[in-house]
Amino acid sequence: MDDFFFSLVLAGISVGAVYALVALGLNLTFWTTRALNFGQGSLMMLCAMLTVHLAAQGLALLLAVLGALFIIGGLGIFIERFAVRPALKGAGSMGWVVSTLGFGIFLQGVAAKWFGAQAVAFPDILFSAQDYVSVFGQYVSLQYLVVLLVAVALILLLELFVRKTVWGQAVHAVSLDPELAGVQGIPVRRIILGSFIASSLLAGVAGLLIAQIGGTVDPAFGFDLVLLGFVAAVFGGMGSSVGALVGGLVVGLTSKLVGGYISTAAEHAIAFALLMAMLALRPQGLFGRIEVSKA
Amino acid sequence: MTTITRRGLGALSVAGAGLAGPWHPARAQAAGTIKLGFTTALTGPFNEFGEGIRRGAELAVGEANRQGGILGRQVELAEVLDDQLVPDRAVQNMRRILDNQEIAGLMCPSGSGPSLAIVDMVVADGRPIINPQAQTPSIIYPDGADKPPRPNVFSVAISNTVEAEKLAIVLAGYRRIGIVHESTGYGVTGAELVKQAVLAQRPDARLTMESYNQRAQDMTAQLVRVQRARAEAMLVIGLGADFAVIRRNMSRLNINLALFGTSGAVTVPYLAGAGDLVVGTKAASYIVLGRRPMPAATRTFVDLYRAAYGTDRWYGPDAANPLISLANTVGSGYDCIGLMMDAIRRAGSTEKGAIIGALNATKDYPGASVASISFTPQQHTALRPEDLGIYQMLKRDDRVVLELLE
Repeated sequence: MDDFFFSLVLAGISVGAVYALVALGLNLTFWTTRALNFGQGSLMMLCAMLTVHLAAQGLALLLAVLGALFIIGGLGIFIERFAVRPALKGAGSMGWVVSTLGFGIFLQGVAAKWFGAQAVAFPDILFSAQDYVSVFGQYVSLQYLVVLLVAVALILLLELFVRKTVWGQAVHAVSLDPELAGVQGIPVRRIILGSFIASSLLAGVAGLLIAQIGGTVDPAFGFDLVLLGFVAAVFGGMGSSVGALVGGLVVGLTSKLVGGYISTAAEHAIAFALLMAMLALRPQGLFGRIEVSKA
Repeated sequence: MTTITRRGLGALSVAGAGLAGPWHPARAQAAGTIKLGFTTALTGPFNEFGEGIRRGAELAVGEANRQGGILGRQVELAEVLDDQLVPDRAVQNMRRILDNQEIAGLMCPSGSGPSLAIVDMVVADGRPIINPQAQTPSIIYPDGADKPPRPNVFSVAISNTVEAEKLAIVLAGYRRIGIVHESTGYGVTGAELVKQAVLAQRPDARLTMESYNQRAQDMTAQLVRVQRARAEAMLVIGLGADFAVIRRNMSRLNINLALFGTSGAVTVPYLAGAGDLVVGTKAASYIVLGRRPMPAATRTFVDLYRAAYGTDRWYGPDAANPLISLANTVGSGYDCIGLMMDAIRRAGSTEKGAIIGALNATKDYPGASVASISFTPQQHTALRPEDLGIYQMLKRDDRVVLELLE
């Protein structure tokens, strides 16, 4: 295989897998509340920053990662309770757009105050940028491979959870009709809370994966990624796990191939061109369903 | 918007003077302080530069006040505002600074975008301003380097033009060159100038130019395009954090080229983010910090900084060998304020025409980042190609150091 093409494809599916993780995080809260957490980017940043901070305090890297994820999960509860729940009290309210985005900006400010505004080095988790394996004579970075495998594994596990477990079915029920689910004894509030925790954790993992690719993290980290994750979610179909994965991979691959074969100046813009094309041709996305409102 | 005004910086510099020698607050108060002001990126992702400028300015003012002030008056950084490198905020801040008629001298923001945004209003106002870091040449020479400069705008920054000339000398040793640059004015202008400078030295050179957006987390497309063009060397024009992403990306793709960076690229975030991968990278930067012994003014500045802030992020861990980027991030702010105070002293006045006249007559001023600074009515930029050196990153005693190659 052509080295040039192979490098672009590998990078495309690796970054695409991260977009898919972000998209899935957005989907999780969309299932239960029809709200998206636009503060996901700041959670990605904070998880990476906390990991650096905890590791610098002498904690083993694995414990630092777990500690950071624990805090990020807790912030998921906070976001649901204070940024989303009040905003959903009014029927059809879109206040959550501003409140989640505002909370993200608040987190950026907190991170800048505590950790400083400059980029800090993010440690290599498992592999360094120099580690690679040879596949059919091609040089494959282990960092890319880990990003891809972790992202795909998490997406598959979540899909299995939703399809095969009782709790997953309960999530599905809440997504279809929360009032009816409540009448049937499903703990709707806990499921909504759980979706925000899981969504935050996915953002945290995505932050850790992408931070080790770049090597540094700063308070403004993550904002672009959440935009591209949103594009992936809409492209694949809002609410669809398979759609999130396919959307992420399509956005990642297309960006890299366009950047490589046409122009690097168009690399970023093509993702938004895809979004506009999808909204014009198939607003529900590749795997989404058209929503029918009850009269 | 973070605002540090009279109560903060003014008090700090005045207090410094009080500690060092006889000072008469009543007399100084009666005469009033000489007030200077600027807007810069004190917070936000690019505060590496703005915070450095602020520190440099504080050190210069503190030192002048310790020596009795200028024209018998204490100097005060009366307006220091935060723009986070956002042009709109820089404009708002500069409007506020210009509304304060007591401000005698100004300093440009830490970047080409904000500096270009504020420069016309400062020219209309007429008060003198000195540019510490913005590299775009049109800030000083809006109609080209062969035309007159803006009358009240001076610069100690590394201009894209001079940096391009310096880098072209070493890049011309390669026939196929890749230039990867950020998509900002700084990156685009810088890449074009380097291209012209290299082609002037070596007409058969083949250059591949690729752009990226600041903060991109993966540069595979840019790098494989440079690789496909069979480049032997690559220059990165951008900031340190992005350079770290590029260097790590090169490693993941097993791309091994002679790697060069601009002075803005070889800063702390590059060293922190790319770790040992930085070894071998070459860059152009101020020459004075690499010289041993350092020129006296540079030595004084370095000692002042270390006494005030220790071996911190800007200085680096090695007390004997400060990071070269200290000249770019802090030294240039120190020089701007030092030059302004020197001009006020020579003018014997804080009247804007007199200060500009004195700045135009600046001759062999010993700067911290540029060894000898001279201005004329036609020449408003301090830096010449010989003020830059080419450095190479090496690992010595388990530490990455920049060694001057020439």
